[in-house]
Amino acid sequence: MYGELPTRSFILIAALLGLGIVLPLLLPEYFLYLGNMLMMYAVLAIGLDLLLGWSGQFAFAHIAFFGIGIYGTALLHTRLRIPFVIGMPVAAGLAGLTGWLLAIPSTRLRTVYLALATYAFAECAQWVFRTWDGVTGGSDGLRIKPPSVLGHVAGTDPAAFPVVAVVLCLMLVATLYLTRSNLGRHLCAIRDSEHVAAASGVDVKRVKIVAFALSAIYAGVAGGTYTLFQSFVNPDVLGVGQLILVLTMVVVGGPGSIIGVLLGVVLIGLLPEALRAAPRGLLVWQEFLYGLILMLAVMFMPRGLWGLIEAQLSVRRAPAKQAVSAAIGTSGPLDLKGTGR
Amino acid sequence: MFSLLLTQAIASGVVTGCVYALVALSLVIIYKSTDVVNFAGGELVMLGAYVGLLALTYFEVSYAVMFALAVIAVFTTGAIFERVVLGTIVGRRHSAHTELVPLVVATVGFGYLLKGLVRAVPYTEEVRRLPPLVSGPPIFIGEAILQRHDIAIIAVTVVVMAALTVFFNFTLTGKAMRATSQNGRAAALVGIPVKRMRMAAWGLASAIAGIAGILLAPKLLMTPDMGVVVMLAFAAAIIGGFTSLPGCVIGGIALGIVQNFVGILLSPQAIAVTPFFVIIVVLMLRPQGLFGEMIATKKV
Amino acid sequence: MEGRVYEVTRANRARRSATRDASGSARLVRALLKQITVPVSVEENPLALTTHAQSRVNDKDPKGGGCMPSFNGVRCGLVGLAALLALAQPGLAADPGLTDNEIMIGLFGPLSGPLISFGLDPLQAAKMLYEEVNNKGGIHGRKIKLVIEDDKCTPNDLVSVVKKLVTVDKVFMLHGGSCTAAVAAAQDFVNRESMPMAMLNAAGDNAVFPPTRYVFGAFQGTQRVYGAALANFAVLHLKSKRAAVIVHDDDYGNANLKTVKATLERQGVEIVAAERIPPNINDVTAPMLKIRAAQPDVILSGLYPAPAVLFAQKYAEYGMTDVPLLQATQGIPSPATFAKNVGNPDALKNFYHTWSFNDVADEAVRQKYIKMYKSYYPDRDPTPFFVSGLPSALVIIAAFEKAGKDLSRESFVAAMEQIDVKTDIMAGELAFAPDRRDALRDVFVVRFDGTKQTVMPGVYTWNGKDGL
Repeated sequence: MYGELPTRSFILIAALLGLGIVLPLLLPEYFLYLGNMLMMYAVLAIGLDLLLGWSGQFAFAHIAFFGIGIYGTALLHTRLRIPFVIGMPVAAGLAGLTGWLLAIPSTRLRTVYLALATYAFAECAQWVFRTWDGVTGGSDGLRIKPPSVLGHVAGTDPAAFPVVAVVLCLMLVATLYLTRSNLGRHLCAIRDSEHVAAASGVDVKRVKIVAFALSAIYAGVAGGTYTLFQSFVNPDVLGVGQLILVLTMVVVGGPGSIIGVLLGVVLIGLLPEALRAAPRGLLVWQEFLYGLILMLAVMFMPRGLWGLIEAQLSVRRAPAKQAVSAAIGTSGPLDLKGTGR
Repeated sequence: MFSLLLTQAIASGVVTGCVYALVALSLVIIYKSTDVVNFAGGELVMLGAYVGLLALTYFEVSYAVMFALAVIAVFTTGAIFERVVLGTIVGRRHSAHTELVPLVVATVGFGYLLKGLVRAVPYTEEVRRLPPLVSGPPIFIGEAILQRHDIAIIAVTVVVMAALTVFFNFTLTGKAMRATSQNGRAAALVGIPVKRMRMAAWGLASAIAGIAGILLAPKLLMTPDMGVVVMLAFAAAIIGGFTSLPGCVIGGIALGIVQNFVGILLSPQAIAVTPFFVIIVVLMLRPQGLFGEMIATKKV
Repeated sequence: MEGRVYEVTRANRARRSATRDASGSARLVRALLKQITVPVSVEENPLALTTHAQSRVNDKDPKGGGCMPSFNGVRCGLVGLAALLALAQPGLAADPGLTDNEIMIGLFGPLSGPLISFGLDPLQAAKMLYEEVNNKGGIHGRKIKLVIEDDKCTPNDLVSVVKKLVTVDKVFMLHGGSCTAAVAAAQDFVNRESMPMAMLNAAGDNAVFPPTRYVFGAFQGTQRVYGAALANFAVLHLKSKRAAVIVHDDDYGNANLKTVKATLERQGVEIVAAERIPPNINDVTAPMLKIRAAQPDVILSGLYPAPAVLFAQKYAEYGMTDVPLLQATQGIPSPATFAKNVGNPDALKNFYHTWSFNDVADEAVRQKYIKMYKSYYPDRDPTPFFVSGLPSALVIIAAFEKAGKDLSRESFVAAMEQIDVKTDIMAGELAFAPDRRDALRDVFVVRFDGTKQTVMPGVYTWNGKDGL
């Protein structure tokens, strides 16, 4: 499970890169816009999953770091003319730093209180974005100038698509390495039981803080990609509603597994668009449907849709093995593809 | 002039604080009994208000009947939710730690579901209002002005608080509920029907939320989004200590007064961020709040 | 075996359709080539953007031609390839969304979500006017076809809907938007695509100042218009000298406050209190206390429906009803509901509000449109705010008339730029100019006592300068 990355993963990533270059030539801008949004959400969701799925920390502050990424990259570009390739890592680093600072006092809080503290932090951050209008433009919003990435000007969806795809691929590669590293193992250990992990020699507090900071960096990177294809940012998009959306993607797709999260992103990200085709009378039921999906997902798919699919696949492959693992109740990270399980 | 501002700020703060306290009581009861943070608390409040509105305008019942109907409706909704949704999640054999996340996520989904349900009714598109519990000319406390309905809110909060104290300390069901929250396995061993206790706890907490809704609606106006008041209730509960019922009331009142002072001394813009700021500060410095117990970590 | 047959048939069909509409394929080729080259960078000045946009030929995918429903992007690629092989002839066909007997308009607004009351009835009112035009035979022989979408009044959804309407449904023009912040998010895209867009009933401040070529708005007046109207009313009619202002700390509130300040200060009125409160506030005690302490002789409010009610209630509670209270339209889309929610006739003793429409002053006009609405939507009782969907549709229809049979996006924009429409329903004329994209600058001020509305004499006009 750990150690060498299966070549399958790299094929997937290469395919993604290929799509990133080819699709802008073929699809109308609307689909490219959806693609850009999905890729951005993918980075966000994977970052949240690091905390939620891998280390079992119920932290809501993700959206604040997303905002730091957006405003940071946009302002560095607009005010200081710092190019994207430098601006985004700086903004993401800033988000990571904020996450690190937030994590230091927060990690000793129990799950419930952590949820509330981070939720409160997210709301505070949104308030700051709204009130500090000298810098962020406040409620009037901030117009984002199209950034140029190594000479290639993004800003329109077709132009931004390959860049976003590249960023996503980089983050995926980083995640693959991360989850197979010692850190990944420690995260899983903490999720299953902090006390046992501590007894096994894991520095629980330090690992939690690192997880927080890393997750914040992901959110910051996602914020950077936002500036590639959106021309306007307003604090209203940085509220808890967005966070619940990303949370749903993780929970419905499959916490603790990269493919699961990506699956969740695609399903939940495309759901509102698919509903556009629904008859008008059904439009008002969207929120209801949304809540229902969320409830049903946690009730019947504890490991998300991907967990369900995986369970089906492993039943077919090795019924005996599956019975054993069901009895033990393992809940470790899932392979991208079951290698020898 | 300043003394007028002061007395009015305190008086109004106590009133709004009592509403936060009622919702906070609902949250704390659920947390104490079932270890779940109920992010749908605000939507239960909203549901109570809208069921009341439905009863009044469509079925044209009297105020007292409306009150009873709304409370029963929300009680039932909460109880059913607990039994059907949370029961399914709790029933799975997984490690206790990871169980918490799906439970909380389920409450988030429940909140959206309720909101979506109410919003689907065209009548809710516009801002609505419930009539107050008591109407009439305002009452003067010193130089401060309070509506009669405000006094009623304070009175109801006190009554509910007293009733809960009696319930939890002197009735068998109440004691059984406390036992369930302290140690579920031991309670089951002693013969307490744990599942039914959880359902009852949720029902009770939801009923209180419904009452809060009926009291709140005349003051706050009704939209399907009025559930956002839950964050203020969380702040109140955290200030008082998330496991202490009297703490809720103290916390709520403190928060109401602080908000008014912030609004007057700093700016009304800062009012929006006050509860969140308070939550962070309290959790960082003294997580157990004013009256809460130290959080006992569950081993393995 | 079937697979190969399919491929052959597909290639044949592509070749056939390529030669059938070579000009369309030519544009497709150009479009494809364009994707590969690096686009020129956007300049700072938004109006300069327009010259760029103008110089680009409208070379989107042809409406019929080689590419059918764009779900099949691969087919488009094949067609383009086939066109490269075929000889392309240059040609100028009509804009997308436009045929000799049809104009396709993308109509959108909040049809679900918390702001549905600002969007549903107005959108249906606009739709109703378009159907009226169709029933009379269309404009210059063209009937209006609508593609309706829900934008939930949020930036993400509106951008998504706009991009879909423009690049998938390929409409001729866009008509929609009830929330300015959401519209502003799509503004750059709309201008870049040279796509004319008229807002539905959004106030539009941030999207019309500074004006950009393709975005038209403020058909019921900007926040600046409301703010100036209330301020001028306070000065001229109420002879006020000490004004208090209360607004929200969002884009509407900012525009409103700026304008009120400029208007009042220009006329020597002191602003004794200016409160900015969050839109989701639920207790107005603090700002009310501060306003009371300042002892104003008039209060101007730009609050939204729920806080406006709370504020009116508190203002009565604190015995301030001798001070006139002036409310901007967004807080009182439905006066009857407002009065019911306030629940205290004393609070409305000295209550005025802005209103952009003539239905209060002229009952016949009101009945005309209500009858029309109910004839199209018999199951729905419209809120009074439904009239806000009318002016934008009226202007669009007038612009179509003006542009004549030889219609194109550019000729439509040119017609809009010179339009000056007087209607029976609006307080003043709806007009644009090469440097003006806000339609209405005149509103009424209406006195409302809870049951009866009385229109105050005169029309209050924004001078085009205050608050900018």
